Amino acid sequence: MKLTHIFSNKIKLIVLFSIIFKSSIVFSDQNIEKEFKDITSKLRCMTCQNQTIYDSEADFSINIKKIIRQKLNSGENEKKIIQFIEERYGEYILFEPKFDKKNIFLWTFPFIILCLSLVFLFIRIKGNKDSK
Amino acid sequence: MNKILLYSPLAIFLVIIFFLLVFLIQDKDANKPPSPFINKDLPNFDVISLFNNEDKFSNNDFKDKQVIINFFASWCIPCKAEHPLFDYLKKNNPNLIIIGINHKDKFEDAKNFLEINGNPYSFVGIDLDGKVALEFGVFGLPETFLTNRKGKIVSKITGPITKKIIKNEINPYLQ
Repeated sequence: MKLTHIFSNKIKLIVLFSIIFKSSIVFSDQNIEKEFKDITSKLRCMTCQNQTIYDSEADFSINIKKIIRQKLNSGENEKKIIQFIEERYGEYILFEPKFDKKNIFLWTFPFIILCLSLVFLFIRIKGNKDSK
Repeated sequence: MNKILLYSPLAIFLVIIFFLLVFLIQDKDANKPPSPFINKDLPNFDVISLFNNEDKFSNNDFKDKQVIINFFASWCIPCKAEHPLFDYLKKNNPNLIIIGINHKDKFEDAKNFLEINGNPYSFVGIDLDGKVALEFGVFGLPETFLTNRKGKIVSKITGPITKKIIKNEINPYLQ
């Protein structure tokens, strides 16, 4: 009776640990999958017309996806993986231009135009009010 | 003062249009993005010869040497089209080292390709799994890299080379 009780407890423990182990694998797989989607959605397929690596099934994209998956499985983070890819294919592979000295005009120009437009609008409204 | 204010939005708009037009006229080809390797050393690589398993070479073998590195494959049609031009380059520059990197190809097919079309390469390396191409940021075949005597990459040609490309993008760097 006692022996069967010990065995049943052991079985319960084994089942519990296997459930915990299995669910941790599932969670880690889900995390990797999410990171994989995030990274590949930020990269351009160099041989396609305006398509992300994630959406593309071109040979080039399939290769890059394979490399990214390998790197994620080996524990590398998004920043490191994107840097690895950018070092080889250049900034062109990034869909979103980096916010740096070279691209400062690109990033700030819409805001400059917006500010200028607001200034002109303000002056015109003020002018109209004064003339009335 | 009022007139200046009235016309300045139009002036700004025209300036923007001017810059956009200048940008469009620059003839930038989206299929040929600039390489991050220009003015940089050759990336690290290590390859085995197509003709002899014991014969190896790496980037260290080309330090202080001017080389052309051409990625090709027997299954790549544009590679076949550009191939005779490497013979032409070799004839005109006998001291130039031209390296072929055979990319994701079957050995026998690659050897047949070179037997039929001629072998202008000083050395042919195997890149069976595409790792060397990845180090060079190759995204389609053929691609060709030219270094200067300091071992820095000075030109990258995406797609098949032509006589015009040799004249404009290779010859100016040949010393």
